Amino acid sequence: MRQALVLAALALLPAIGQAIYFRDKVSWQSPIPASEMVTVAQARAWDGNVIWVDARPDAEFERDHVPDAVPLNEDRWNELLPQFLATWSPEKRVVVYCSSQSCNASREVARRLREEAQLRNVFVLQGGWEEWLKSRK
Amino acid sequence: MAQIAKVKFVWRIVDVVVGGIFIYAGAIKALDPVRFASDIDNYKILPWTISVRLAFYLPWLEIFCGIALITRRLCLGGLSILTALVCVFTVATIAAKIRGLDITCGCFGHASKNWNFSTHLGLDLVLFGLVIFLLCACVRNFTASER
Amino acid sequence: MRTRIFAFTLSIFLCAIARAELKWEQTAVELHPTAGDKEAVGHFKYQNTGSQPVRFKSVHTSCGCTVAQSQKEEVPPGEKGEITATFKIGDRTGTQVKNVTVETDDPDHATTVLTLKAVIPQELEINPTFVFWGQGEALKSKSIVVRASKDFPVKQLKVTSSSPDFQTKVEQTGNGQFKIDIQPRETSRAIAAKLLIQPEDSPKVFYATASVTNAPAIQ
Repeated sequence: MRQALVLAALALLPAIGQAIYFRDKVSWQSPIPASEMVTVAQARAWDGNVIWVDARPDAEFERDHVPDAVPLNEDRWNELLPQFLATWSPEKRVVVYCSSQSCNASREVARRLREEAQLRNVFVLQGGWEEWLKSRK
Repeated sequence: MAQIAKVKFVWRIVDVVVGGIFIYAGAIKALDPVRFASDIDNYKILPWTISVRLAFYLPWLEIFCGIALITRRLCLGGLSILTALVCVFTVATIAAKIRGLDITCGCFGHASKNWNFSTHLGLDLVLFGLVIFLLCACVRNFTASER
Repeated sequence: MRTRIFAFTLSIFLCAIARAELKWEQTAVELHPTAGDKEAVGHFKYQNTGSQPVRFKSVHTSCGCTVAQSQKEEVPPGEKGEITATFKIGDRTGTQVKNVTVETDDPDHATTVLTLKAVIPQELEINPTFVFWGQGEALKSKSIVVRASKDFPVKQLKVTSSSPDFQTKVEQTGNGQFKIDIQPRETSRAIAAKLLIQPEDSPKVFYATASVTNAPAIQ
């Protein structure tokens, strides 16, 4: 028991030192949120400050989409990106969605907007188009 | 006598190997405590405020216990702590699997991120077995020397 | 009586050993389409090594950009076939991984996931692909760095702006790298331009965008 306490106390020293070194680099109170995901409720709360981006294939966008959403998919990225950028401004939040069929598309579009176009405040809608439809009912 | 010396030598090797494993495991986690904190958080057992503090402390505890084992100083205390740590890790891994959580960390932090559940559990159980053996041997030696 | 017992036992035995089994030549295919390819096609070959026919219940893909088709609906014992997965490249870049999930009535291998990996060659890396100024922001030029891939050496780059509101200047910085300086004529109103970036001797055109946004500059 005494030996264990001695070891426990010894380990505390470098641990405290490291914690002091990292004090500004760590969130001590809450985990860093999965900054990319946002719920329908959160996105709706942003109200007029949101640009909805539909990452689904063209045919699905044509059938139905979030009101005022801008289509931006990887099939026609080069053609659609300038059209999207024309509606964008720095104070707006971008929420990208797709459907469960193409569920990785929204992540990919969001990634490209962040990395290639270097936009900030780009989010992915949790649950995608299906979640939006549920919230409409 | 030669037989006893051989057995002692083998146990010494096991001491060094197990101690080395824990020093390595601790060092990997100590190099990136922020990531280790999110790995602990993934188990969804402890609140974040405790997970993040443990993430800074546990790796150093492992390293010191590993050193205690190799140097045979405070090895009883070291083995007790390591037994408890491996036990808790193993139970947490099984619990996470039952709850369907996607965890990437067992004993080896992000070095083991591509391991599947069976590999994690297997290694945890092997380590648990080894530390229990060493602990029993150490207790026997300790009580013998006390007498 | 004995004959009946024997026949019954034999039929049970035959049922036990008679089974379907679909063996795949490979379940992961890596493709290297060339620049300009519109599609990448992966072929997943299989053979029914069992003694019962195998029926495909469904073949579906992880995304709308990949279409998978089976040649046959049912595979007799000993027969071979393949599932073709066609991945539409579009304007995608980098390494793309798409899954094809195949469901059959083979109880031992009811579901198989086939993986199609397409490594799309990237001739030019443009960073960033979008530069902007806020309204009223200082009229300073901003840069886009263009890096040519080692497999596609580029000697010269031609940059054209779709709008005269933006001026561009190209500078070769060595090692297959170019710097494009862009400056708007004014930042008092919202304007935008599509920049067409074309390597010399290549018909392929790459794009970037420049704009003066509606909102004031963020300090």
